[in-house]
Amino acid sequence: MPEGFDDVQWLERTRADADVAAWLALIPYARRIGVSAEPDPDGEGLRFRLEPWGGNVGNVLLPALHGGVVAAFMETAATLDLMLATRSPRLPRIVDLSIDYLRTARTVPTFARCSLLREGRRLANVQVSAWQQEASAPVATARLHFVLADPGRGGPEDPGG
Amino acid sequence: MTPYPDRSPDAWRRALTRFVTVIPHTRELGLEVLEVTAERTLMRLPWCDDLLGDSARGLVHGGVLTMLLDTVCGSAVLRALPAPEVCPTLDLRIDHFRPAVAGVALHAEAHVVRVTESVVFTEGTLWQEAERPVARGIGNFVRLGPRNTPPGLAEALFAEEAPHA
Repeated sequence: MPEGFDDVQWLERTRADADVAAWLALIPYARRIGVSAEPDPDGEGLRFRLEPWGGNVGNVLLPALHGGVVAAFMETAATLDLMLATRSPRLPRIVDLSIDYLRTARTVPTFARCSLLREGRRLANVQVSAWQQEASAPVATARLHFVLADPGRGGPEDPGG
Repeated sequence: MTPYPDRSPDAWRRALTRFVTVIPHTRELGLEVLEVTAERTLMRLPWCDDLLGDSARGLVHGGVLTMLLDTVCGSAVLRALPAPEVCPTLDLRIDHFRPAVAGVALHAEAHVVRVTESVVFTEGTLWQEAERPVARGIGNFVRLGPRNTPPGLAEALFAEEAPHA
């Protein structure tokens, strides 16, 4: 069986190693916009990073990053953070996302940090904050709901529990 | 000069095509503008493998849908104003009804619900197969007003209609 999110052994192994890079390698859109993760230098857990590539620009006059790209970055961060943070290996599937844009995202690196506010049996709520120069001056905040599925069970049409 | 809201659907389609072609992210993904009327703005994102969020299972990244919703709603805003104005996204909310799958183009439709002095309220829907929406969302946009809009924005969008600009 090829390695992937539906491969239980692979998921358990990469999760035990906190190998987020192995997960990102299977997420082409995250690679295209330049998402990476590293241990949070200012705390526990992960700090995510979005590259300020030219292809991520949404306003050439300012210039500023595309708000939708910032949202995709924050969704990727929330998904991967959740996959590490759950009590047992689970596969999150997004239910909804709400994002508030607080400041213009300039063409410099953007960072994100996540908080798992609730992990239920079937649903999780994750909050994400994204910033550029200062964590205290976020460019956007988001909150997301995910359905948590057991890996190796259910195809894409399965509502996931 | 014809007021902007009275210009033909075809002139608007060309104007918003220019708009999404100037945006590097949507230009590189090949986003197409299919229809622009007072009632709705319709776009099509052709398939490419970079849109995947899960290679093994062949599912589209949810963030692609959010990006598309932001773009189509923000474009519909331009059509609804007395004259094109810079309108950054204030907030977005998206609900994922079912996974979008690999190999199929995405369609995105948006319409403006209400324009006030300071905010424009929009709604949008995304689908791959007709009558089976993959996501819907709402987006609110801030009107920065003519004072904060670069001179020549409207002329640039309607370049063919205003050759002197």
